[in-house]
Amino acid sequence: MIWRAFASEWVKMRRRRLWYGSYGAIAAVVVLTTIVTIAGALHHPDSHGDLTLAQLAHASGLSQGLTQSGVLLGAVSFSIAAFQFGGEFAHGTLRNLLVRQPRRSTLMAGKCLAVLTFLIGAVVAATIVAICAAFVMAHLRGISTGAWTSGAGMADLGTLLGDLTISACGFAIIGMIAGVLLRSSVIAIAAGLAVLLPLETILTDAIPGMARWLPAQLLEAIAQGGSSTAHFGAALTTVSAYLLGAVMIAVLVFVRQDVTA
Amino acid sequence: MSAAALATEPVVHAVERGSECYAVSTLGLTKRFGKRLAVDGLDLRIPAGSITGFVGPNGAGKTTTIRMLLGLIRPSAGSGTVLGHPLGNARAYLCRVGALIEGPTFYPALSGRENLMVLVRLGGISTKRVDVVLERVGLGSRGLDPFRTYSLGMRQRLGIAAALLPRPELLVLDEPTNGLDPHGIAEIRAMLRSFADDGMTVFVSSHLLAEIQQICEHLVVIEAGRLIFQGGVEELLAARAPELIVRTESYEDARRLLRLLTRIGRSARMTGDDDARTIEIGADGAFAGDLNRLAMADGITLVHLAERRSTLEEAFFEITRNRGPPTPGNRCAPGAAGDPDRSSSARPPGAARP
Repeated sequence: MIWRAFASEWVKMRRRRLWYGSYGAIAAVVVLTTIVTIAGALHHPDSHGDLTLAQLAHASGLSQGLTQSGVLLGAVSFSIAAFQFGGEFAHGTLRNLLVRQPRRSTLMAGKCLAVLTFLIGAVVAATIVAICAAFVMAHLRGISTGAWTSGAGMADLGTLLGDLTISACGFAIIGMIAGVLLRSSVIAIAAGLAVLLPLETILTDAIPGMARWLPAQLLEAIAQGGSSTAHFGAALTTVSAYLLGAVMIAVLVFVRQDVTA
Repeated sequence: MSAAALATEPVVHAVERGSECYAVSTLGLTKRFGKRLAVDGLDLRIPAGSITGFVGPNGAGKTTTIRMLLGLIRPSAGSGTVLGHPLGNARAYLCRVGALIEGPTFYPALSGRENLMVLVRLGGISTKRVDVVLERVGLGSRGLDPFRTYSLGMRQRLGIAAALLPRPELLVLDEPTNGLDPHGIAEIRAMLRSFADDGMTVFVSSHLLAEIQQICEHLVVIEAGRLIFQGGVEELLAARAPELIVRTESYEDARRLLRLLTRIGRSARMTGDDDARTIEIGADGAFAGDLNRLAMADGITLVHLAERRSTLEEAFFEITRNRGPPTPGNRCAPGAAGDPDRSSSARPPGAARP
């Protein structure tokens, strides 16, 4: 049953415009942060501890740019997922789907899996493009890339890709929840991005230690493999608990609510 | 229409109740949105294999009722069955139900075919059905075009195609002719007839009463969430007395004819139309010959004589206009005029139940 909902959702997501838009946006975000990171690297260390060309030549240098793309990647993932879920209410297509699949939790699970696989594909594709961009930038800035292709470099890249994927999926799940609860893609995207980006940043700046509790901050920490304020394991545990609770509420609401759209 | 399309359709299953057979049956179906009562104790009986019209003023609760039947809205009270399964177990019967609810809504960027594929995959329906139903509704050649490029008529037809995907035994169509031109309406009408010929039960809501009168055998009328009539369309129309419309050559003739009719005990009145030469007489066509002879004998010249049967629209307006604030006395209940079990001779429309 979940497979049917999954396959059905993929019929929609196969359309070219969605691919170009989503994959393009995610690739653009990742490539842009990679280029900016490498282009902005200093020749010599400064007092601020900014990234240097020598640091970029290490095995972890390839993933330095990708690390910075966590929040923007998350914002795009959130928007895509919120659009896919909220749009069903806004377009009135949800009623068609529910007549063919009255098991609402099954429908939601299938749609969720489809959106996540779509996003995982997008993150992987964007990472490949970003790696290409990183090599080009390294050549332009005279950075040695020998260490990037070493075993340690590849392991580092693999770990980062996993972290980015987890982070993007976390943002996407929040997007789906927002879409279901707010029943509108536009409102879900607007409200969600307002809360996840500026509001969380303000709260983090205003209240010390807040970054350990806010979902977008935690997901950003996960994308970076852990940060000074939130270690990877703690961030993953806290976010997982948030998402589990929120998903349960969203499923409960979705299953019980009257479909009047 | 393709041979495959003709070779499709289903066997009717329904609930047997004594000698009657209902595809849909509800008892006291009620839906309340906050303080507003959208549907109030509806006792529906939709005979299997019939085309049943569902009419009522805007906001009467038609769409809410349909949504309850389709499991999209939870009833606040009441019970019912659809194709023999209880309303609360929609998953048991929805695989045999096709529905078009409140107009066709599809993904604009997808083609008609892709939109149907979304539903086919979701419902575990054979993909071969897509071409069959597109052909059946006359969209075979436009299936690959994006939905956003479809005209309103094509959108309605795609909605009907989507409803036909699961080879439904019950087809629920909410305003399928909304916004269509006369040609489109005629097409939909022919389509609905063909579905009924295939053995489907068709439950169709519409504002176009003339359409309902033409295609439906059975009728459900609701107002303010309450059932005010259900039964055969002919029963409803037969319950209204037919009239003879007579036009005389002169006003003086009309006055004399009126006096004559009063003398023989016929109810008649001048309408005031056409220089007060037109008279409506409470009688059916059988009286026309006698009337003509009487008029001739009295030297009255008739220039027009015709029987006029009331239309569904007139009956509908009379039912809905005559109903005052609902009271226990005029509430429709099983066994009253609204109950087909007992309404073989429909009461005069709008008549309050004793």
